Amino acid sequence: MLAYYVKLGVKSLRRNPVLTGLMVLILAVGVAASMATLTVLYVMGSDPIPHRSGQLFVPIMDNSSMTGFVEGDDPPEQMSYRDAVALKQDAPATRQTALYGLAGVVEGGRSDIAAAMSDGVAVHADFFAMFDVPFREGAAWSADDDARSARVAVLSHRLADRLFGDQDALGRSIRIGGTEFVVSGVIQDWRPLPKFYRLVGGSRLAHEDFFLPLETAVALEMDPQGSVDCNTDTGLEPGFAGLTRSDCVWIQMWAELPTASDRQAYTDFMAGYVEAQKALGRFPRPINNRLHPLREWLEVQQVVSNDSRLQTWLAFGFLLVCLVNTIGLMLAKFTARAGEIGVRRALGAPRLELFKQYITEAAVVGLAGAALGLLATLGCLWLIGRQSPQLEAAARMDWVMLVATVVLAVGASILAGLLPTWRACQVTPAVQLKSQ
Amino acid sequence: MLVMKQLTKVYRTHMIETHALRGLDIHVREGEFVAVTGPSGSGKTTFLNIAGLLETFTAGSFHLDGVDVAGLDDSARSRLRNRKLGFIFQGFNLIPDLNLFDNVDVPLRYRAFGARERRERIEHALGQVGLASRMKHYPSELSGGQQQRVAIARALAGSPRLLLADEPTGNLDSQMARGVMELLEEINGRGTTIVMVTHDPELAARAQRNVHIIDGQVSDLSAEPVPRPLGAAVNA
Amino acid sequence: MEIRPILSTLLRNKTGAILITTQIALTLAIIANALYVVNDRLAVAQRPSGAVEEEVFRIQVLNYERPDDIAHAQRHDVQLLRAIPGVKAATWTNQVPMGQSGWGLTLTVDPTLGGSGVNGSPYFNPDSLVQALGLELVQGRDFLESEVVEIDPATAQLRADKVILSRRYAEQLFPDQPEVVGRTVHLGAGADAAPLQVVGVVDRLVSPFAQASDAAYNTFLLPVRYLTEHSQYLVRVEAGQRDRIMAEAEAALLDARSGRLVLQNQTLDELRGNRYRNQRAVAGLLTAVTIGLLLVTASGIVGMASLWVTQRRKQIGTRRALGARKADILRYFITENLMIGTVGVLAGAALAIGLNLLLVRTIELPTLPAVYLFGGMAALLVLGVLAVLGPAWRAAAVPPAVATRSV
Repeated sequence: MLAYYVKLGVKSLRRNPVLTGLMVLILAVGVAASMATLTVLYVMGSDPIPHRSGQLFVPIMDNSSMTGFVEGDDPPEQMSYRDAVALKQDAPATRQTALYGLAGVVEGGRSDIAAAMSDGVAVHADFFAMFDVPFREGAAWSADDDARSARVAVLSHRLADRLFGDQDALGRSIRIGGTEFVVSGVIQDWRPLPKFYRLVGGSRLAHEDFFLPLETAVALEMDPQGSVDCNTDTGLEPGFAGLTRSDCVWIQMWAELPTASDRQAYTDFMAGYVEAQKALGRFPRPINNRLHPLREWLEVQQVVSNDSRLQTWLAFGFLLVCLVNTIGLMLAKFTARAGEIGVRRALGAPRLELFKQYITEAAVVGLAGAALGLLATLGCLWLIGRQSPQLEAAARMDWVMLVATVVLAVGASILAGLLPTWRACQVTPAVQLKSQ
Repeated sequence: MLVMKQLTKVYRTHMIETHALRGLDIHVREGEFVAVTGPSGSGKTTFLNIAGLLETFTAGSFHLDGVDVAGLDDSARSRLRNRKLGFIFQGFNLIPDLNLFDNVDVPLRYRAFGARERRERIEHALGQVGLASRMKHYPSELSGGQQQRVAIARALAGSPRLLLADEPTGNLDSQMARGVMELLEEINGRGTTIVMVTHDPELAARAQRNVHIIDGQVSDLSAEPVPRPLGAAVNA
Repeated sequence: MEIRPILSTLLRNKTGAILITTQIALTLAIIANALYVVNDRLAVAQRPSGAVEEEVFRIQVLNYERPDDIAHAQRHDVQLLRAIPGVKAATWTNQVPMGQSGWGLTLTVDPTLGGSGVNGSPYFNPDSLVQALGLELVQGRDFLESEVVEIDPATAQLRADKVILSRRYAEQLFPDQPEVVGRTVHLGAGADAAPLQVVGVVDRLVSPFAQASDAAYNTFLLPVRYLTEHSQYLVRVEAGQRDRIMAEAEAALLDARSGRLVLQNQTLDELRGNRYRNQRAVAGLLTAVTIGLLLVTASGIVGMASLWVTQRRKQIGTRRALGARKADILRYFITENLMIGTVGVLAGAALAIGLNLLLVRTIELPTLPAVYLFGGMAALLVLGVLAVLGPAWRAAAVPPAVATRSV
C-alpha cells in the first residue's frame, strides 16, 4: 500500500509542477537556512576537548590600576609575567602552563626554499599533556628543559614537512629568529576548532607551527605577538626586561584541576596571593579573581558570537514561515482535489487510508525538499562562511548534518501536511458527488 | 420592454463554429409574463444570457427598456443589469458564507444606496417572500424552496423593471415549485415584467404567453417543426 | 466598502485567512529586527576613516637580520619609496587605520587627578602622516622635522614633546573648549607623566581597531621614530597608479637590504574590507533572509487568493450577473486582502516587539526603533496588495455567464 501511495504522491506532484515546485523550493530554503546556521552554532559551541574539558581552567586576577575603574568591571583577559610565574611555581595544581604568542622566521633543513614568517607559541612542557596533543615523532620537552631554558622546539607536521620533506625532523637543528633549536618532537595534524587555548590576541583559526619553552622565549627576549595591555600607574621600563617586570598583561594561563577540592585549593591560593601582593602595593583594585572552566571561558570570550546566535534565531523563524506557507499550499492542493477524495470515500476508502495517502504525499514533497535542501544548505554555508575565516572553517557539512537535513525536511513536510490532510479526510462523499 | 430583432449568436472555438441563435425575433411588452420554452440545446440559455446582458451577441439588435445595448461596454452593461434586471437562477446561486440579509444585500451594494435605504429594501423584499424572520440565518439552514425564495427577494430588492428566471423550479419538488410559481404570479400581478425560461410545459402554461425556441429561432407552438438545416451543430 | 460581509465570509473560512495572517505576522517580526541589524552593521562598515583611502597603501617589512642602524634603514626606505614616480608622500608608522593591530595609551590633562585619563590610539610618524593619509588639519599645524624624537624601545621609554589630536579626542580631553592648540596633555599618570604640547588637530582619524563605538575616533599623532625590526610604511600615490607603485615599492624595499621579508602589501580599501568583512557578510545574510521571507509570504498570498478565486468562481459569476463590474470584483479581493493584511501586521508588530525584547536580553541587540516597525507594516501591506493583484485580476475576468451556465 505504501508503494502505491508513493506512486500516487509522485503522480500528483507532477500534475501541477508549478505548485509542487514552489512547495519544494520554499521548504528547501527554509530547511537550508536553519541547518546551516545550526551547524555553525553547533561546531563553534561544541566542546573542543570533551574528555578533558571538565578539568581545565583559566585563572584570572585583576592587577589593573585605578584609572578608569568602574564598579563591576570585568578583570583583564590575560595576566602579567610575574604573576604567571608565581602561579606556575607555587599554586597547587596537577599541571599548569602559561603561554604567549610568537612569530619568527624559521630556517633549517632545505636551503632552497624562501624564508617565511611562521606563527608559534611559547608554552610550558605541561601544555602537551594537558591538552592531549598527539605526536607524530618524538615527544614534548621535559620539566627540566623548562627550568634551564633549553633550546628545544616542537614543530607542527606542516612546518616539519616544509623544512625536512620526507626525512625525520627529530633531533635536527633549526633556527628561529636567528637562534638555534633542536627539534624534540613533531605533532600530528592537531587543529582544534575553535583554538580554545589561545583565544586572546592572534587568529582564533590559524594554528601555530612551532612551540618553544616559555622561559627560553623569555630569555631570548622574543617579543609577544598578540595583545599587550598596560593599564598600570607605575612607569613602564623600556625593553623586554621592562615588560617582564611590569604589570602589563600579555600571558594566558591554564591549570589542570581534576577534583572539586583541587579547584577550591587553587582558588584559595589565588586569593591569598592577591592579598599578599596588595600588601606590597600592587593590585590596587578590589579583589576580582576568576577561575573559568573551559566551556565558560569559551562563552566569556564570545567564541559563539551574538551574531551567530541571531542568525540561528532568524533562520528558524524563516523555517517557521516556510512551514506555515507550505501548510497553505498543501491545503490549496488538497482542497482542489476534494472531488477525487469524495469519489474514493464513496468507493469505500476508510478515513485512515486517505490519511495515510495524503501524509505520504506530504512526505514525498519532503524528500524532494530534502534533495534540494542539501544543495541549498551548501549555499547557505558558503554565505555564512564569508563572514570570517573562523566561520569559513566551521561552516562545513558532515554526515551527521546531512542526515539531519533530510530528517528535518521530511519531518517539517509531514508536520505541515497534518492539518491539510486532516481536513481532506473530513470531506463527506455525498456533498462532493452532488456538486459539480 | 425587451425587443430583439434578428438576433444571432455564433460561438467560435479553434475549429468549430456553433450557431446558438439564428435570427431570433422576440418582443416582450411591459407587464407581461412570458415563458420561453424549447428542447434541450435549443438556445434557451443563450437567449437568457443575452437578454440578461451576461453575454454579447454576434448580429442583430437588442433594446432593453428602450436602451440599445449594442455598443455598451462591460461596465455599462453591468450597471444596466444591476438597475433594470433581476435574476433568478436554477441553482439559486446564493453565497453560502453570507446570511440571508447579506445575500439580498449583494446587488444593492453596487448601487448608490445609503445604508438605511438598503436595510429598508432588504427587509421589505424578504418580507415579500415571507422570510423576514430568518434574516440572520444562512442558506445551508434553509430548504430548497426557501433558498429560491431568498433568491427571488434578492432579485426584487432593487426594484427591477424585468425579472429573468432560468428554470426557477428546476431543483424543487412539486410542492415547493407551486409555491414559487405563485410568488412569481403575485410579483407579475404587481407590475413586474417576467421572462421565465423553462422546459416544463405545465409551468409554461401558467404564463400569459409562450415563446418556443427551436434551433436558435423562435417558432410558434402551433406551427410545424422547422426542418433542421444540414450540419447544424448543437448546444446552448 | 463591503467590510462586514467580507469579514463574515472570512470568519467562516478561518483556516486560510489564519495561515496568511500568521505568515505576515512572522515575516514582519523577523524582517523588522533583521533590517535594523543590517542598517546598523552597514553604518559601521561605511564610517569614514579620515584618510583618502583610494590613494593610500601600506607595506610592512620584517628585517629578520637586524640592521645595525635601524633609524638609517627606516629613513632609507622612505627615501626609496618617495623616489618612485607617482608617490606623493610616505612615512614610517607603528599602526594603520583599520589594520586591526595597534596600540592603546592613556592621555591625561591633569596627571595628578587619578582616573581622569582618556584612552586613545597613538600613531607614531617620523614623517608626515597628515600628508601620507591625506588627513584634514582643522587647527594648528603638522609636526616639524625638528620635533621628531627617536626612541629605542630596548633602552628608552616612550616620550615626545608635541602631539596632534583628533577632533573627537580633543573634545573628550578638553570638553567645551574649541581651541586646544598650545594646551598640554600628559602621557601616563602620576609624577613621571610626560607633558605633550598640542600643535594641531585633525578632523578625523580612525584607530586600527575601528571598534563599533565612537571611541574608534579617539586617536592622536606623535612625532616619534620607534626603532623596531618591524617596519610599516604608509604611502600616498597619484590616483590610478597604485597597483604599479605597490609592485615597485615591494621590489625596491626587498632590494634595499638582505635578510628582509615583505609581510604585507595592501591598499587601505583592502584593510577596510578585512576589518568590516564580518559586518558586511552579516548584513548580506540578513538581507537575503529578508528577501526570502518577502518572497515566501507573497507566494503564500498568491496561492491562497488563487485558491479562493477558484473556489468562488460561481459566486463571482453570480455577483457579476447581479450587476458587479470588474472593478467591483477587484475591489472586493483587494479589500479582503487588506483586512487580512491589517490583522497580520498588527499581530506582527506585537511579535516584532516581543522578538526584539527577547533578542535584547539574550544577544544584546539594541531596542528596535519605531520607524522600522511602521516601515515594515506599510511594506507588508503593499506587498500583500501587489501579490493579490494577479488572482484578483483573474477573478474579475470571470464572465457573468458562469452564473447560469455551470450547474
